[in-house]
Amino acid sequence: MRILDPHIHMTSRTTDDYEALYAAGVRAVVEPAFWLGQPRTSVGSFVDYFDALIGWERFRAAQFGIRHHATIGLNPKEANDPRCREVLEVIPRYLTKEGVVAVGELGYDAMTPQEDQVFAAQLAMALDADLPALVHTPHRDKLAGTRRTLDVVREAGLTPDRVLVDHLNETTVGLVRDAGAWAGFSIYPDTKMDEVRMVAILREYGLDRMIVNSAADWGRSDPLKTWRTGVTMLEAGFTEDEVDQVLWRNPVEFFGANLILDPVPGFIAGQAPAPAEFAGSSVLRGVRA
Amino acid sequence: MTWTLGYGTNGLGDHPLPQALDLIAETGYGAVALTLGFPHLDPWAEPDELHRVHRRVDALGLTLVIETGTRFLLDPRRKHAPALVDAEADARVAYLRRAVQVAEELGADTVQFFSGVLTPGDDAAAARDRLLHRLGSLVDVADRHGIRLALEPEPGMVVETVADALAIRAALGDPTALGLTVDIGHCLVVESGGVAGALAAAAPALAHVQIDDMPSSHHEHRPFGDGDLDLPAALIALDATGYTGVVSVELPRHSWDAPHLLRHSHDAIARARPSTPTQGAAMTSTTPSPASTAPPGSISRTDPTPPVVAAALAPPTDWLAEAIGVVHQDPRRLGAPFALAARRVGRDALRADHDPGGVVFGTVADAARAALVVAAVPAADTGSARRPDPHTGGVDLVDTLRTLYQQGDTGERRGVLRGLDALTVVDALSPELIALGQELAADALRTNDPSLVAAATGPFAAAHLDQHTWRHAAVKLVFQQVSLDAVAGLADRADAELARMAGDLAAERRAAGRPVPDDLARIAGQQKES
Repeated sequence: MRILDPHIHMTSRTTDDYEALYAAGVRAVVEPAFWLGQPRTSVGSFVDYFDALIGWERFRAAQFGIRHHATIGLNPKEANDPRCREVLEVIPRYLTKEGVVAVGELGYDAMTPQEDQVFAAQLAMALDADLPALVHTPHRDKLAGTRRTLDVVREAGLTPDRVLVDHLNETTVGLVRDAGAWAGFSIYPDTKMDEVRMVAILREYGLDRMIVNSAADWGRSDPLKTWRTGVTMLEAGFTEDEVDQVLWRNPVEFFGANLILDPVPGFIAGQAPAPAEFAGSSVLRGVRA
Repeated sequence: MTWTLGYGTNGLGDHPLPQALDLIAETGYGAVALTLGFPHLDPWAEPDELHRVHRRVDALGLTLVIETGTRFLLDPRRKHAPALVDAEADARVAYLRRAVQVAEELGADTVQFFSGVLTPGDDAAAARDRLLHRLGSLVDVADRHGIRLALEPEPGMVVETVADALAIRAALGDPTALGLTVDIGHCLVVESGGVAGALAAAAPALAHVQIDDMPSSHHEHRPFGDGDLDLPAALIALDATGYTGVVSVELPRHSWDAPHLLRHSHDAIARARPSTPTQGAAMTSTTPSPASTAPPGSISRTDPTPPVVAAALAPPTDWLAEAIGVVHQDPRRLGAPFALAARRVGRDALRADHDPGGVVFGTVADAARAALVVAAVPAADTGSARRPDPHTGGVDLVDTLRTLYQQGDTGERRGVLRGLDALTVVDALSPELIALGQELAADALRTNDPSLVAAATGPFAAAHLDQHTWRHAAVKLVFQQVSLDAVAGLADRADAELARMAGDLAAERRAAGRPVPDDLARIAGQQKES
């Protein structure tokens, strides 16, 4: 099974997770920029975070044989904080960076006018940079938020095939599919979606434009949920090729040409990072003097 | 590994062979290209004489290449006749078969030869067929003897260009035992891609290189400085191929001035060869200039241009050529192509066989970004010692490069560092750029990304980092299990203090029962005074 987890916040995860992901068949991930739990108080804090997404975290992932990509954007929760609004000025320069594959996570949290403005401004940036947009749907008032999201995307001039609307469930999937956008599902241990319900949705709606992710972050979450969904699909009678379509080919098609998918040079599966012919790395502990 | 400089005996026709060999060795050459035939060595000489030559060449420490451009050995009336393309060529075939045997006897592994001129009235296709047919059996003979034939394109001959030679080789199935000789002077006359294009095309099959100056108008071997050859650029292009064989000076019409031209050629190449300056402004220690204590063959031991720098200074093509043009016109437009470079030119390692991650020797993208940095610096492209004005055309280069680095990802940061390496090699750094480079190197050396640390130990570091910082950079690479091959000027700058650090680290590893990195031995053995 080869897996591209299109939504996972690796900054918050451990090297054990990277090893488990690789063992389960994950070869590439996309990490959307989001909030950290602790509110940011300045633009500088964002710049360091974005730099880490295209720098340190990509390097750390490569040490475990995984290609790491990022989406860059101002998330809707912090869009409401005037101290963070200025970050919109630095986002365009990140959109040309290697390994940045979309603008995101965008969307709504509390559906405020500020969120409206920030969302629209960043959809315009996506259009300028010729990148797709990763849009999350609000946890509260999800149905109304999803409708409004689809309206704003349409007004921004993005074609629906360039938009992935994430964190969907049984009540919102139909709307997104009817709009022609990509439908994303975050498989969590106990909220949003689980793998059994996910397989039922795949049965009902088919496999096209369907994207499954773990959305694992600093909360209770499980980075192996993409793999569990694949296993559950096989148990339910889907073929290996159908699993490959959902867990690999679909996200590859959505994110497109900016993905880097060749194997990490010098990485040897099952070996600790830094085999002799590759680079050493400070992700190692206990072998450094 | 780099190439070895040699001199052709056809430029010493007024000296007996033993004296010719002595002169070549004592001038500092590491190799000799011996023309088999008059006046130096009869191809059918007795075994005793071959042994004597072999012993002498060995005693002088010279690498030997056999050349077969003897003029009137086979036909006293017609130069270079009979040729492999002629209707009758038995004498030529026999001579070349013998050359393979002699090469084996003398411990050489390469035999240079050429195709010949088309006889007036002869059919070109038939001549080529004869060449192919004869070459097929010669290649088999060479293969059996463990010798590599090296076909040399010659102006006016049937095989005139590198492309012609590669086509012949392809028609024979690209045999390993058939390589190419490239004469760098010839490239000015017959190669549409110039020296760099010809060398790059020949690189996979390059078995021997000849070097000389020449006017671009016609085939005339001249001493360096008397023709149209850009020698520094030619040497950079040669380094970019990764070639590790013999490069022999080819001046067959200047035997009358051989002792002078041996020295003159050696010095011209030493001067033109981009090597790592060891007298950096910020150095706390001085090392003896390698030139003043040069052992025989010293050029073969000079640091070559690092592959990533050589690739950055090579002539650009396609997207990169266009981007360089844009940046050259307006350095303010550097940002966009700089970020996009890896997507446009790829991320392949330049020496994938030894360095799959491109950490030690760099990647194609690193080189492209370095080339864009060079393009943004006025006067850098001249390769002369003209200092760029850091505020040209209202653009503050120092600010531009600092911003590129600070707002760049790891790949872009490597690109800025490698750009400073390239500017070091072409001697186009202003004091302001040197200060910037020191600042950025310090930042890179603080990181734990081996590719950044390696990129901060190139020619710029060798020339402009203080000794303390430089030592720590070298030791950090060992920690990160990155080969010290990444470090420019290692032999010049390693000192007793670095040896002490390496020794202490090795002792610590042994005490812990942990493996000692092989590279520690490379710096622990240095006993120079700091």
